[in-house]
Amino acid sequence: MELILIGLHAGIGEIGALSFLWVFIELLSPNLQRVARAKVAAMIGVVALFTSWIIGGYYYVTFYGANVKPAIKAGPMPWAHLVMTETKEHVFLFLPFLAILILGLIHAHKEQLLKGERIKSILILSLLVFLISMAMAGMGYMISSGFRSAIT
Amino acid sequence: MKKINPQALARSTSFTIILIVIMTIWSELHSAFKGVLTDMSGHHWVSKGIISLVFFAIMYFLMHKKAVGHDAKQCEMGPVWMTVAGGLIIFIFYLWHYLAA
Repeated sequence: MELILIGLHAGIGEIGALSFLWVFIELLSPNLQRVARAKVAAMIGVVALFTSWIIGGYYYVTFYGANVKPAIKAGPMPWAHLVMTETKEHVFLFLPFLAILILGLIHAHKEQLLKGERIKSILILSLLVFLISMAMAGMGYMISSGFRSAIT
Repeated sequence: MKKINPQALARSTSFTIILIVIMTIWSELHSAFKGVLTDMSGHHWVSKGIISLVFFAIMYFLMHKKAVGHDAKQCEMGPVWMTVAGGLIIFIFYLWHYLAA
């Protein structure tokens, strides 16, 4: 059960990350079709990040705290929990709101985007969501390494 | 989708990120506050998420009828700076917390 939850959390989170990379690429040179596709990509990203939040949250509250956290803290890499998990679980909370913001900005600025205006903030935000999501995956790797090193 | 006020949305996002950073650090420094959060939902992290969602919705509801001002462009960059600063503050706080222990 835990492995399935971790896989779904990471996989759906990556779909969210790639959706915002897709938004970034579409808006580098916007036209009617690209703006429409960027909106679809942002919608997929919002749904994916909220789903990843719920699944990851369920795993974190149900399994991680009872089994994984004590093992990591007692193992050779306690920082994997004390720095990485703590940072990951709280910085992750930014992502769903940033995702909603990007979708809202694309919707609100549709006309300006076609004229090449108001793109900068959406491009930067999309890239930021992609990079933070990738950083989440990297921190997830360090956390699982901390657990593996503790049980071997 | 109804007409969206981008400025209100950007400000709501910025304020929500600030709230998350404050709740994160405050709950680590004051166990009583962490206890209140835990009592709310059974887990402090779940409570932070619920509070953030409700706060975001209330902020947008309160601000969405305000006319879009001249500083709209700068306003939309606000969440970028808040995200970078907030992420760094949280990471440095936990690093400091770990090294100081």
